[in-house]
Amino acid sequence: MPWPGIPRLALMLILGGVGTVSAAPSADVTPMAPYRAPFAPASDREVLQQVPAASDPKVREMAALRRKLDAAPSDLRAAADLARAYIDFGRQIGDAHYAGYAEAVIAPWMAKPQPSSVALVLQATILQFRHQFSDARDLLKRALKDEPHNAQAWLTLATLDMVQGDYPQAAEDCQAAARTGGFALGLACSGNRLSYVGKAEQSVALLTQIEGDAPSLSDPFKAWVQGLLAESAERLGDWTAAETHYRKALRYTPDDNFLVVAYADFLLDRGRPKEVLGLIPNDAQSDTAFLRLVLAQAALKSPDLARYSWIMAARFEALTQRGSDYYGREQVRFALHVQHDADLALDLAKRNWQVQRGPWDARVFLEAASAAHQPQAAIPVLAFLEQTKLQDPVIEPLARQLLLQLKSEPARAR
Amino acid sequence: VRRTKVRTAGQALLAAGTLAATAVSAHSASDAYLTLDVERRASSAGSVVIHGQWDVALRDLDFVLKLDDDGDGNITWAELRKHQAAIADYAYTYLHVSSGANACVVRATRQAVDNHADGAYAALFFDIVCDGPTNSITLDYRMFFAIDPSHRGIFVLRSGDNIATSLLSPDNAKIELKL
Repeated sequence: MPWPGIPRLALMLILGGVGTVSAAPSADVTPMAPYRAPFAPASDREVLQQVPAASDPKVREMAALRRKLDAAPSDLRAAADLARAYIDFGRQIGDAHYAGYAEAVIAPWMAKPQPSSVALVLQATILQFRHQFSDARDLLKRALKDEPHNAQAWLTLATLDMVQGDYPQAAEDCQAAARTGGFALGLACSGNRLSYVGKAEQSVALLTQIEGDAPSLSDPFKAWVQGLLAESAERLGDWTAAETHYRKALRYTPDDNFLVVAYADFLLDRGRPKEVLGLIPNDAQSDTAFLRLVLAQAALKSPDLARYSWIMAARFEALTQRGSDYYGREQVRFALHVQHDADLALDLAKRNWQVQRGPWDARVFLEAASAAHQPQAAIPVLAFLEQTKLQDPVIEPLARQLLLQLKSEPARAR
Repeated sequence: VRRTKVRTAGQALLAAGTLAATAVSAHSASDAYLTLDVERRASSAGSVVIHGQWDVALRDLDFVLKLDDDGDGNITWAELRKHQAAIADYAYTYLHVSSGANACVVRATRQAVDNHADGAYAALFFDIVCDGPTNSITLDYRMFFAIDPSHRGIFVLRSGDNIATSLLSPDNAKIELKL
């Protein structure tokens, strides 16, 4: 190497600022660290990287759609089909690259002075995927101005409003989604919303209606409904039902990253971290899935934890370097349960709360405030919970405990 | 609860459309790491050689160049080695350096494998040589932007004791560097 020290500079910078973890490359832990200087593998057969296999039907479908678009490069429909396939695949395997590929595919249509609603909704979906919620909302509203009957736009808008905790607005969006996209869609949308406003029983009832007439619906839709049912069952503390629904959902769309992650959270909460190791492969490329692996290793007090947490910290740092800031929820949990840095966790939770306000966002905020002994920091979240009436067997006791602390030491400040 | 027969008016949408149900993103997007180190030459005044290392994710390269020849989902060292020339041809098309009126040449030296937290990267080593005295260079980086506008080049320049960093993106693809 002609310039000692330089090739690793990027890595050193990546590791900068990750607290205690950045000490990992020191001599005693080097064997555990997954990094070494650039190298030439010893064997031709050494596997360096996993990629989607060409034999995967979804990969073949994407290739076919790509050929179709290449044959008719100005055909918006061909572009939209390919972009959608990319978005779906990226979501399924938990890989943000595909959102970028989709963005490139529809870019020529987004560059037009008046982009069509098809392009706007796809771009909004991509932005939503990256947690650029307000930009996504703007695009959806533009799309709906042109095409008020675009059910996908209404559903996406409803999802955005739910993610950000605006449940009254989400109710209107769901009604519009039902009007434009049909009854099943409306039911799923409303069923989803009800689980956030203290009406998980009604949520289950609505979602079960869709379940009853399932054969005619697509597998991804059925998986979505089963995932929502699992979530609502969790709100009610019905763990058996929740698990049944998660497993059903995973039968419809095996390996779906979103479902795998939600089910892993369920297992972690139920004190079954070992099963998480069976659910998520060791080399998970999805960061959200990988975090659950790290949390499981932490719960198991595994000797491998240092290695896992080092990789996780490096991945978060790489995201920070590229200016991505949408892993708030995951970063809070990592800071809290792996790095045991309650103050950092609370800072991250506060920032995350500005972006998203789902039950998990509320929960990690309360957990962080509690661990940091700063109940007063949780006041905005407690007020939100009181207003929305979220019912949840984990979050409610947490909130009560913080309220008690607030009453007993109202003036405590740090 | 009254059971309502579910109508399927939104069938086409539900079958073909992207469900907005999951607003949770999950995963690293595409990054490359570009590091330049400036070596001043004592012999000729103002003349420099810049040594570069460019780490490009095998995942990204596979998407554009299909490195996984047998399609089994694993890129092996043999497969990567076979494509090294194609990788260099592709990559260096998207990296241009100039210095005022002077031309600069980007000369590939060797390739290796580098591991990052999100997977294996091809490490492309190169030298940049410019004609005449060189106090600043213009770097033009367009890697992957046309196929993935969310790609980012994480750039580090080291010149003596100075370190400069930049995030290369479609909106920040051309940067001026004082050496």
